[in-house]
Amino acid sequence: MRNPSSLKQEILKKWVMGLQICSSSKKEMTILERKKAIKLSADIAMASARNASKYWSRALIANASKQDENKALLDHILGCDLEKIKKKSSIVSIKRKKIVLRSKKILKKRVKNIGVASYIAKRLVKKRTQLLKRLVPGGESMDELSLMEETLDYIVSLRAQVDVMRHLANASMHLDHKVSSSMDQMLL
Amino acid sequence: MSSRRSRSRQSGSATRISDDQIADLVSKLQRLIPELRTRRSDMVSASKVLQETCNYIRSLHREVDDLSDRLSELLASTDDNSAEAAIIRSLLM
Repeated sequence: MRNPSSLKQEILKKWVMGLQICSSSKKEMTILERKKAIKLSADIAMASARNASKYWSRALIANASKQDENKALLDHILGCDLEKIKKKSSIVSIKRKKIVLRSKKILKKRVKNIGVASYIAKRLVKKRTQLLKRLVPGGESMDELSLMEETLDYIVSLRAQVDVMRHLANASMHLDHKVSSSMDQMLL
Repeated sequence: MSSRRSRSRQSGSATRISDDQIADLVSKLQRLIPELRTRRSDMVSASKVLQETCNYIRSLHREVDDLSDRLSELLASTDDNSAEAAIIRSLLM
């Protein structure tokens, strides 16, 4: 299967690239601006880690590209792939809409002859599917099947992103302690 | 005649494949979610899996947000010229 640590390495590499771009373009940043830059870089890194091969990653990138301030970052990390990705995300949504209509028809056919308990269960599933669609980038235009596949990939990527960020945060903290204690020792 | 047969076979099998595939994906999802991983897949309903999936994604989003907060404070020290700042900066180079 796919190697989880290579995914993390890709995310780290691109995230660091993004952080460098953000800090080089703006020397003085408020903590809030810095946080936004960190988070945006992490998201773009996560989305582009496997060449944006999934629909959710293209949707995430397309959404980010809607804001002008993100253009420089996106250009650097994705290069000429950015336009390709934006095109791909808009084309696929048309295809998926057809599949959505078809799968709704299939669902309607099956609900007809089912008892009350199943009916309630189906409505619950429908409600929760709607919630999930709002959580996964680009989820609104996905059919049920694709939503599940994309969710699986999205969760794996989110976990890798969290791991990478947590490791850097811990490493920075430990470095802080190590350096200040060794500095103290040097100065004594 | 053969084209009619293959067409009806296609539409019938498309529905069957969809159901099986969705069930397979739901069980794969269940295995990913820490809350549900240890329970038997036949005892967890699809709606429960979906609910826990949403909760899990939301908690992962929150973690990313919290870590971004932490890091923005940690990396703010790169503005001054301390040795720590230099080392942290070198982590990023």
